[in-house]
Amino acid sequence: MALSEPARDASAVGAGPILPLEMIDRCIGSRIWIVMRGEREFVGTLRGFDDFVNVVLEDVTEYEETSDGLQVRKLDQIMLNGIHICMMVPGSEGPDHSIPS
Amino acid sequence: MSDVGGGGDGGSKTQRSPSEFLKGVLGRPVVVRLHNGTEFRGVLACMDGYMNVALEQTEEYVLGELKNKYGDAFIRGNNVLYICPQQA
Repeated sequence: MALSEPARDASAVGAGPILPLEMIDRCIGSRIWIVMRGEREFVGTLRGFDDFVNVVLEDVTEYEETSDGLQVRKLDQIMLNGIHICMMVPGSEGPDHSIPS
Repeated sequence: MSDVGGGGDGGSKTQRSPSEFLKGVLGRPVVVRLHNGTEFRGVLACMDGYMNVALEQTEEYVLGELKNKYGDAFIRGNNVLYICPQQA
C-alpha cells in the first residue's frame, strides 16, 4: 500500500505524524476495544488486520445491547468484518473500564 | 489482498493477518455470525475478499435455536459479522 510508506519512514526516525493504520499496527499484540456501528462492541487481543481493517482478535468478549439487556459472549478467536467497525481504542478492556470511577 | 498488519510475519503466533487466519480455518468447522445475530455453523469450504462464504453441512441457528440444515450454503459477504473456529 503506497500510502503507508511515509508513515513507516516517520516511525523509523521516531518523530513526525503517524497514519491511523500505523497506530493500529503498533497495537498488534495488545488488548483493543472495538466499537461497531450499531449496538455491538468487541474487546480482544489484536493479532492482525488488513487494508479493509478486517481484524483478527483472540480471547474475545462480545458485547451486544439487545432489548433483553446486555448480552456478553466469550470467543477464542475471530476474524471480524471491518465494514461495520466504527472506533478502535487501543489498550482498553472495553465498556466496563472506559470511565475511571 | 495486501496486508498492512502482520503480512510479513507469516504464521507466527503474535501476528496473524486475516488472510493467514483464513488459511488456518479452511476446511475446518466454523461459526459464521451475521449482523442480524443469525449463526451458521458448518465446514468452511471457501471464502473470498468480499467475505462471501461457502459452507458445507450447514446448520442455521436463530436466537440460539437450530432452525434449518443445509448441505451446502453460500453466504453473501456483506452480511458477515465475524467468523470463528468452532470449539471442539
